[in-house]
Amino acid sequence: MKNGLNIFLGVLSAMLLSWACLLYGAHRQFGGLTQHKDAADESLNPAVMPGLANQGRMVYQDLGCVSCHTQQVRHNSPDLARKWGDRESYPRDYIRDVTVHLGNSRIGPDLRNVGARSPDAAYLYKLLYAPQIFAPGTNKPAYDFLFTVRPVQGGAASPKALQLPSKFAPPAGHEVVPTPRAEALVAYLMNLKDTYDYPVEKSRNEPAKKGAGH
Amino acid sequence: MNPAPAPDRSEQMEIDASAKWPVLFFLGAALKWLLFGGLLQLASSIQLHNPAFLAGCEWFTHGRLDAAARNALVYGWGMNAAFAVGLWLMARLSLAALRHGGWLYVAHAFWNLGVLLGVAGILGGYSTSFELLEMPSAVGLLLLAAYALIGVWAVTTFSVRNTDNTFASQWWLFAAAFCFPWLYSIAQIMLFQAPVRGTLQAVVNAWYVDGLYHLWFVPVALAVAYYFLPKLLGRPIKNYYIAAIAFWWWLFSVAFTSGARLVDAPVPVWVPTVGIAAQMCVPVAAIIIGMNVFGTIRGDFGRMLASGTLRWVLVSLLCFFAGSVVALLLSVRGVAATANFTLLGEFRDTLWLYGTFGLAAFGAIYFMVPRLCGRAWPSAALVQGHFGASVVGLLLLLIALGVGGWTQGRLLNDPAVAFGDITKALLPWFTAQSVAVMVLLVGHLALAVNFFLLVKQEFLPAGAKPASFAVPPALALPAATPEARH
Repeated sequence: MKNGLNIFLGVLSAMLLSWACLLYGAHRQFGGLTQHKDAADESLNPAVMPGLANQGRMVYQDLGCVSCHTQQVRHNSPDLARKWGDRESYPRDYIRDVTVHLGNSRIGPDLRNVGARSPDAAYLYKLLYAPQIFAPGTNKPAYDFLFTVRPVQGGAASPKALQLPSKFAPPAGHEVVPTPRAEALVAYLMNLKDTYDYPVEKSRNEPAKKGAGH
Repeated sequence: MNPAPAPDRSEQMEIDASAKWPVLFFLGAALKWLLFGGLLQLASSIQLHNPAFLAGCEWFTHGRLDAAARNALVYGWGMNAAFAVGLWLMARLSLAALRHGGWLYVAHAFWNLGVLLGVAGILGGYSTSFELLEMPSAVGLLLLAAYALIGVWAVTTFSVRNTDNTFASQWWLFAAAFCFPWLYSIAQIMLFQAPVRGTLQAVVNAWYVDGLYHLWFVPVALAVAYYFLPKLLGRPIKNYYIAAIAFWWWLFSVAFTSGARLVDAPVPVWVPTVGIAAQMCVPVAAIIIGMNVFGTIRGDFGRMLASGTLRWVLVSLLCFFAGSVVALLLSVRGVAATANFTLLGEFRDTLWLYGTFGLAAFGAIYFMVPRLCGRAWPSAALVQGHFGASVVGLLLLLIALGVGGWTQGRLLNDPAVAFGDITKALLPWFTAQSVAVMVLLVGHLALAVNFFLLVKQEFLPAGAKPASFAVPPALALPAATPEARH
């Protein structure tokens, strides 16, 4: 180990090998996954994310939601019993996400299928504005800065105004309306649902059948 | 191949003089970030048990604070401290003064400007939400450019060395100096400049995060351990001939461990499998390193604990071994099924970043700064206080994250437990985490106060009388051992 060049070449080869096997190898294998065309109704899956939802993805990103929420349902795990998804997540589910935030912390619940299990957008607005409405004692922060509290204009409440329980309601004559960023974020969350099951992935991930030996 | 016979004292002072101001600049910045990052970390931790804390302010919403704290600590404290320690060690071991060090001030300014913009960018809403790459991608270019000016110094100092041989610490520093820009630039390209699609992004992100801990922070910590053990104990590294095996073994196994962070993730199953297999090789390297370092210590724990530097190195080494085992355990599928997505991930990364690297850096700082300034630390009580606070704080933090994480994993895997009850069960552990972070912060404050008091004396017209330091014992090299002939 006298020669600096030898050390350099050794380190370089470790790094090159690691990049080539792990990143380039993975890229060759599944970096080019495409949408699947359903044989029956010719729909393309996963469907392209609508523009507003894609903007919401950027709000999700800038608020750092990933620090407490994952977006992945594990194979054959209690995640399914928690109703966080009907099936495990496949790599193909994510090709429509411009940035993928799998996350590695579940201080909050998994959100991969939050759009499928939330009753409606109004629920998510209220959850963002005042999480304590639905989950007293939760440590989820309130995102009230995504909403505007304003006097009711023109005698009639805005159709967008949140229907809040009295404890969380604004002062009389005022209403709480979502800002465009809140609308985008909720559009994104409502769009998070992997409802289509791909035949190829499904067959690959099924448990092996007994007696179907080689 | 142990270090050459001790250099002439005057030569060593000349090298120290050349490194003095660049090192003090980097350390000053590191300590400021350590305090600032600690405050952000404390606020973010408080929010987990008191969600109303700072909630109304968008800049300090939990997701942003959490990312900003991590980035301030990793890029502000960790990297600046690693630059300071690494440059000084490299100069000393290469018996070469840092030449034209002026560029290092430029690099220092740009690096810290980059981190400042990055952290402000995260708080202001420009986070990318990729772990440890949350800073806006434009900042990445600035950081890389600044790094180039710093890394090139480590490499040139190494290549103009005035020694016949190289020492283990130099290999580790050299490898780290090369790995960081490689990891960082590839991650920047594959995530932001020419982004890959789908969950491949998570693979790239895990590769970067894992590499940053294993190939940058841990090597710098090991370089510190390999330097100070023989120097301050006065005997060569035991079983030195296997140090090179440990180096290569570590390098080639941790280069492949990143998949272990993606167990059960929606990626092809070989990705985590390769990671787990590589992770199983890592403890072998740790054992060889253990034969080196604990062979050198040889039961001399009393002297280790009595030394202001070696006690840090000792705890850092313990964290290093714990980290190697914990990382393996957490990657095994049966354990990962419970441990995934819990506080245990942070437990492991705390062992690497704060335990292994941070404590080793503190040890080096306590040796280096008084010698660079020619003065003793102004307050011995603050030195003791810092060590006590760091050890107690780290222990408490590890207990909170470890026990809390395991509880969290068990409850998450029991669908009968409502999610709200998991939060309730975790509250005491979140509170313990806040207390631990606070204790650590107090310790860091002690170090910072001591450091700034010491450096302030440089600017007083008639500063305190320069201290004289006991010369470390000479290496007790056996007369003509086989390895001395190499």
